This record gives sequence, C-alpha cells and structure tokens, in this order.
Amino acid sequence: MSALPEVRMQGNRPVAPRVSGFTRPFWDALSEGRLQTTGCVRCEVLNFPPRNLCRACWSRDLRWVDLKPVGRLYSFTRVHVVPGAFSADAPYTIGIVDLDGGPRLMCRLMGPVEASDLDRAVQMLVLRYDDGPLFGARVAAGIRTAV
Amino acid sequence: MRRAAILGYGAVPVGNHQRAVGDKAVLEHELAVDVVLDAVAMAGLSRDDIEGVVVAHPGDHTRQGYFHTFLTAYLGIAAHSTVVQVLGNGMTGGHAFDLAVHQVTSGQADCVLSVGAHFETAVPTLQHLDYSIRLTGDVDFQSVFGAVPIAWYAMDAQRYLHEHRIERATLASIAVKNRDHAMRNPLAQYRSPLTLEEVLNARPIVEPLGLYEVPGRADGAVALMIVSEERARSSGLPYVLVASRGFQHEGQHQINDQACDALDYDTLRQASARALRDAGLGLSDIDTFQVYAPCTIVEALGTEALGLFPRGQGAAAAADGQTRFDGRFPVNTCGGCLSRGHPPEVTPLYDVVEAVMQLLGRAGDRQVASCEHAMTICELGKYNASLVHVLRAYR
Repeated sequence: MSALPEVRMQGNRPVAPRVSGFTRPFWDALSEGRLQTTGCVRCEVLNFPPRNLCRACWSRDLRWVDLKPVGRLYSFTRVHVVPGAFSADAPYTIGIVDLDGGPRLMCRLMGPVEASDLDRAVQMLVLRYDDGPLFGARVAAGIRTAV
Repeated sequence: MRRAAILGYGAVPVGNHQRAVGDKAVLEHELAVDVVLDAVAMAGLSRDDIEGVVVAHPGDHTRQGYFHTFLTAYLGIAAHSTVVQVLGNGMTGGHAFDLAVHQVTSGQADCVLSVGAHFETAVPTLQHLDYSIRLTGDVDFQSVFGAVPIAWYAMDAQRYLHEHRIERATLASIAVKNRDHAMRNPLAQYRSPLTLEEVLNARPIVEPLGLYEVPGRADGAVALMIVSEERARSSGLPYVLVASRGFQHEGQHQINDQACDALDYDTLRQASARALRDAGLGLSDIDTFQVYAPCTIVEALGTEALGLFPRGQGAAAAADGQTRFDGRFPVNTCGGCLSRGHPPEVTPLYDVVEAVMQLLGRAGDRQVASCEHAMTICELGKYNASLVHVLRAYR
C-alpha cells in the first residue's frame, strides 16, 4: 500500500494525543504514512479509534489492520469560535469520514470544503507537525464525482 | 408503587450572574439559597422536612468544590436519606431531578430537595473551550482536532440540510420561534425581538450554524421540592405528579465508528416510548415538550425522534408554527437553550420548572391551553443517551 500523502503543518500539534503501549503502533504507523486500526479476529469488525477489546463482541483477539486511505465525506463543519489551543488555526474545518471498507472517523479537513462535497470522495492524509503526526483528509479534487 | 410529585420550585433568571461585580456580585451558594427558599416556601414545607439533598454537579468553573455537602451545610440541613452530587454531562440536572424522585419512590424519603447552581460566564470562552473539547470526544483521537461540543451538532445540521434538501432558513426559524417564547418568559436570558434575517446574517460559529443558532454562555440556579404523592395530596396545594421516566444509552460516544444514520436520535425514540408506555399514555396525550436542544438542529431532530413529525420534516414543521406554544405540538415554550438560556448543568432543571409552570397554569402569555401532561427530555453527547420524564398536573 502506498504511503498517505503528507501535509507539512506549522509548529506543534495544538493538543498532543497521549501514546500508550497499546496505541503506539497506530502512531508509529501513521508516522510512516499508514493509517491503521484494530480489527477483531473473531467478528472482523474494525474498531476506531483502536481499542484493546472489540466493542462489538468483547473479544480481545485483535490485530492491526491497514485501512484504505480513501472514503466518503459524511459531514463537516467549519469552526470559527475555537479553543485557546487552536487560536492560530481559526477557522478550521473538521469532518466525519466513512472509509471505504470502514470504519467511520472524525478528523481535520484540509483544503476547500463546501456543502456540495458531502458524499464525495476524500483522501486521507498525514498531517506532519514538528512534534508528531495527526491524521486528516481532503476532498479528492482529482476524483470528485457526485454519487 | 410509590409515586413522587413536584410541590415547589425556585429559579433565578438565566444570565451572567458570575460576571456581576460590586454590590451585584453573587456567589453560587448565595443564589442557591434564594431558589431553595422559594421552592420550600411554595411547597409549604420547612427545613426540617427535608430528608435528602441531590445536587447537580455545578460545572468545573464553579470555585467551591464538593458543592453538595458545602451547600447542605450552608443551609443547615441535617439529612438522613442522602446528600449527593450527580454528574452526567448535559443530563446532569436531569439526573439531579431523577435521583431525587427515586429517593421518594424507593421509600427512602418523603421529601427531597433537588438543587443546582451553574456558574461559567466569568471564564473566557477560549479557556472554556480548551476544557470542553475534552468532554465531547475521545481526547486522544477526536479532541486533538478541536471538536468543540457544538461542532458535533453542526455536523448533524450540515448533513440534515444535505439529505433533505432543506434551506438553512427553514432550520434557522427554530431560533426565531424560541425567541418569541423567551420574550414571554421572565426567567429567560434573551428577551429582545429576533428576526429570521438577523439569525441568517449573524456571524458563523460552527458552520452552517451562526450566533443565534447555538447557545450563549450562561449561569443559573434552580431548586425543586420533590415529595411523595401522599404528601403532595395532603398538602392541599396544586402539584405535579411524576408519572413515569425512560432512559436509554446507546453505547456510543458522539459518533458510531460504523457508517450509520447519525441523524436518527434513537435513544430518544426508545426512552420516550418507554416513558409513555409506563404512564399509560400516547404521544397525542402530551400537551407540551421541553426538549434539551442546544442548537436549532437538535430541536428538529429531537421532534422527529419523538415521532411528532416524519424524518426530515421537523424543521419545516417548526417553520410552519406547529411547535409554537399555541401550535399543535408546543416545544420549548420557555425559549429553549437558545433563548431561555443554557447553563448546561442545570438546563434540565429549568426545563422541569417550565413544565411545572405550564401544568399549574402559571405560564402567563405563553401558557399552553388545557395543559394536563408534559414531557421533559434531556440528553448527553449527541443524544448518545436520553432521559425522559412524563409529568401530570393535579390542580
């Protein structure tokens, strides 16, 4: 699988995620350009965020799975009144993405987003900050197709 | 089964109490005293009648910690049933009411005080949002993107407009309807006239929602006297019976991680159905609905989940006047979170007060005609959980 496109961000992440022994593989993979989560070996559900049990069946037999880095935009909002930590980013856009093959997640959206982009294809991204990565998405302009 | 009744209430107008200065400056427990004494006096009770105290967790911007035991001591109440503080996000005040009712129905007590004071307006919004993004998302995988609480509702709004091909003005009309109600409510925070044009032209906060489609910052204080049905009847006073309750948590935090219909507030459908069944009532028996709705979209989706309107038609029904106090299904007759005001931890207690005022015929020029049954609804997350009560008038 080819690496996620990368976007260079200014400075540190506004709020840094904590990294546990369990979630470290997610952040390490993201750093290498791969979006992963935990898949349940028993019921095959993909959980997101990664969980140390399967939310669907409570199995703890899990494996790390590479996710398809493309999906559809379910919804979004542009946030104008922002937390202090995000002052430099205002306004910013966040959205809900349904990845092809699952799961659903929420993340930062880069680039222009309009109401007419709902249900359109998005490309997942690595947002590269000075102190580490976050994941994001952008409306896939090259493959914009209404469904 | 023992049943509980609301025999008294007290509430201060929603507003910027924490920001008051000089002679007007007031502390959270001082406001709480005002509302407690009003509630106790209305119920014809005295301090020594109070057997338990259930306090709504006052929010993390209230300076006094362990507020429940501090306030109980400040009031000099010696309680044998319980003294406890409860927390449940936007449902906090609903739990404070629900648990007080449970103290009575379980036989633990005959007379319980439910009280809350929420202070936050002296805390700058930037700082408040730094804190609140940690409440409504996974702090490591969602809060890191700056998802402020109302951003989740805004994404529902965007999806709603898209799926049902609805004009923003139709949804925005809910703000105008609620302002019209608030202008008739002395407890409301915002009481000046508001036009649809002003709502549509206001600065964006979380698109597609603008300033008047999201709640302002607010402080407030409310107290309720909850007593056994026998006690209420023997008082000779008018009272409101708690006919039933319903609750449902869907086991999700904000959004599901599997693709699904995010606009279906299913927990409300389930909790309200349970409450109606246990009260032996149908939806058409309910004369007014107080729906916890911090944004216009939430009221539209809430009325659809209740079954008042078909999916996708809640906003249009509101625009058509059907949810006005004199409409077919009166919703948020107090002005709702948008105009009555939204001090989150006590908002559900204000909604109970409005329901009681309607049921006792004390709602002035926003009075719902022949109001016999009311439903109060509160939620947490994005209707990840719903708590519903059905109330009945005994005048």
